[in-house]
Order: sequence, then C-alpha cells, then structure tokens
Amino acid sequence: MRGLVASLPVTAGFVPFALVLGAQAGQKGLSALETPLMTGLNFAGGSEFAAIGLWTSPPHLALITAVTLMVNSRHLLMGAALAPFLKALPKRRVLPALFLMCDESWAMALADARARGTFSLAHYMGVALPMWLAWIAFTTLGALVGPVLGNVETLGFDMAFPAIFLVLLRGMWTGLRAARPWLVSLAVAATGHLLAPGAWTVAAGAIAGLATAWLWAAPRKTGAAA
Amino acid sequence: MISLPVLATILAMAAVTYLTRIGGYLVLRNRTLGPRATAVMEAAPGCVLIAVIAPHFVSPRPADLLALAITFLAALRLPMLAVVPIGIVAAASLRWLLG
Repeated sequence: MRGLVASLPVTAGFVPFALVLGAQAGQKGLSALETPLMTGLNFAGGSEFAAIGLWTSPPHLALITAVTLMVNSRHLLMGAALAPFLKALPKRRVLPALFLMCDESWAMALADARARGTFSLAHYMGVALPMWLAWIAFTTLGALVGPVLGNVETLGFDMAFPAIFLVLLRGMWTGLRAARPWLVSLAVAATGHLLAPGAWTVAAGAIAGLATAWLWAAPRKTGAAA
Repeated sequence: MISLPVLATILAMAAVTYLTRIGGYLVLRNRTLGPRATAVMEAAPGCVLIAVIAPHFVSPRPADLLALAITFLAALRLPMLAVVPIGIVAAASLRWLLG
C-alpha cells in the first residue's frame, strides 16, 4: 500500500508519454494489439520511442534490437547499484521482480532501501506495478487514437519525435562535459544522413559517440590524480 | 492483428531489455566498473536518441529548421506535454508560411 501511494504521482506522469508513444506507434502501423505487446514486454520508454522512430514495415529487426540494447544498457548499472540490497532475497524472487525495473521504479526503490536500510519487495511491487499497468493501458489508448489523426507530415506531427527526444535528453543532462559524446553522435549521424541517408547513420552516430565517451573518460582520471 | 516480423522484433527487444535488467544484478554485483566502461554506459542512451533525430538537424527545408529551433528552446524549460504541441504547431504553421 505504501508503495502504491508513492507510485501514483509518478504513474500519472507516465500518461502523456504513453499516449504520445501509442499514437506514434499507431501511425507507424502497429495495431492496438502489437503496441501493448511491445510496451508491456519491453517496458522501457526511451527504447520504445527510439524503436518507433526507426520503425518501417516490415521493421528492421537487427537495427531496432541493437538500438534497444544501447538505450537500455544503463539498466546494467542500475541493477548493479540495487544488488547490495537484494542479497537477502532468493534469485527466483528477484529475477521476476527486475522485469519491472524502470528508471522511476528503480530510483524509488533505491531511495526507500537507503532510507530504511532494507529493500522491501512489497513496496517495490506497489511502486512498479501501477506504472507498468498504466504504461500498457495508455499506450494502447494512444495506438487506437493515433491512426485517426491523419497525414502526419503536413500537420507537423512528425515534429513530435524531436520534441520528445529533446525533452528526454534534457532529463539525462548532467553537464556539458558528459554531453560531449552526444554532440559527436549528432555530428556523425547528421553528416552520414547528408551523404547517404539510411538506418546505418543511427548506428554510426551512436558508435562514434560511445567511442568518444570511451576516449574522453581516461583524462578525467589522470587529471584528478595530477 | 499481429504480423510475424513485428512479433519477432518485439520479442527481440523484450529479450535484450530483460537481459539488461538482470545483467547488472547477476554479473556486476560483486565488481566495480572501470571509468571508461561507466562513461560509455552513461553516455549510451543520449548518443542513441540524438543519432535517431539527427536528420531533423540537417533538413533542407528552412521551415523545418526554424521549427526545430523553436522546439529546442521549448524543450529547455517546458514539460513534455507543452513541448510536443509547440513543436507540432511550429512545424505545421512554418511549413504553411514558408513552404
């Protein structure tokens, strides 16, 4: 119950994202069954927006899977941060529970565990389950409404994607230094698009940015030591 | 209602996402990542998102570039629910005005 109450404001915040995502999925041709299947099984908004942005008919499986993996790789760090609090619980209970670990449920569970000194599975499920159910329900609703909206290009609806992504990027912003790899990704992907448009530019831009992050990570360490 | 290529893509997405969720708990719980690996993981979501929308930044249509600039400024301060309609209205009206 405690988790449920704590979850409500965050869950309400999911609703506009879910409606917009569902509407975009519907306009890309995903049915009102396929959309909740994706959002229910994947349950990671950033990767779903990226996937729908790249969606074609039929979808490019390898590209979308690779992009999903890259967007969600932060879960690895999140799971590692939560792990010390999960030692008392058996794996057969932790592994299913981690299916519902998103940015918000993770942050709330970690804050609660730190405050109380112990991880409460009941609290975590109370936090995470309403988020999951709301995500499925409102992306489905969006998918039903989306196709009714008409020609997206002339009406400006295609600008929804950069709008969503820019807001998501603002949420990830931790300073110019940390964002330098983003600028490299942008430059490489944009140049690639001008030279030869295609899905490959996403992979090239992302890899260039990650290589930048890798190369620029080391001087920070030596700088601190000097 | 569910096509096979769509189902396969959704299942592949779900599988890699679940692996990222349990991977940190299973593999990284007893060790610490180096600064390079941490930096790469922290930068990854932003790099991918910006690479996906990169074509909008080099659009040949002045109306689209202006609309993107307006959307960018809105995204600096306003919530998602305001930024999306601002972007859509800016794009639609500028395309109508400038072609």
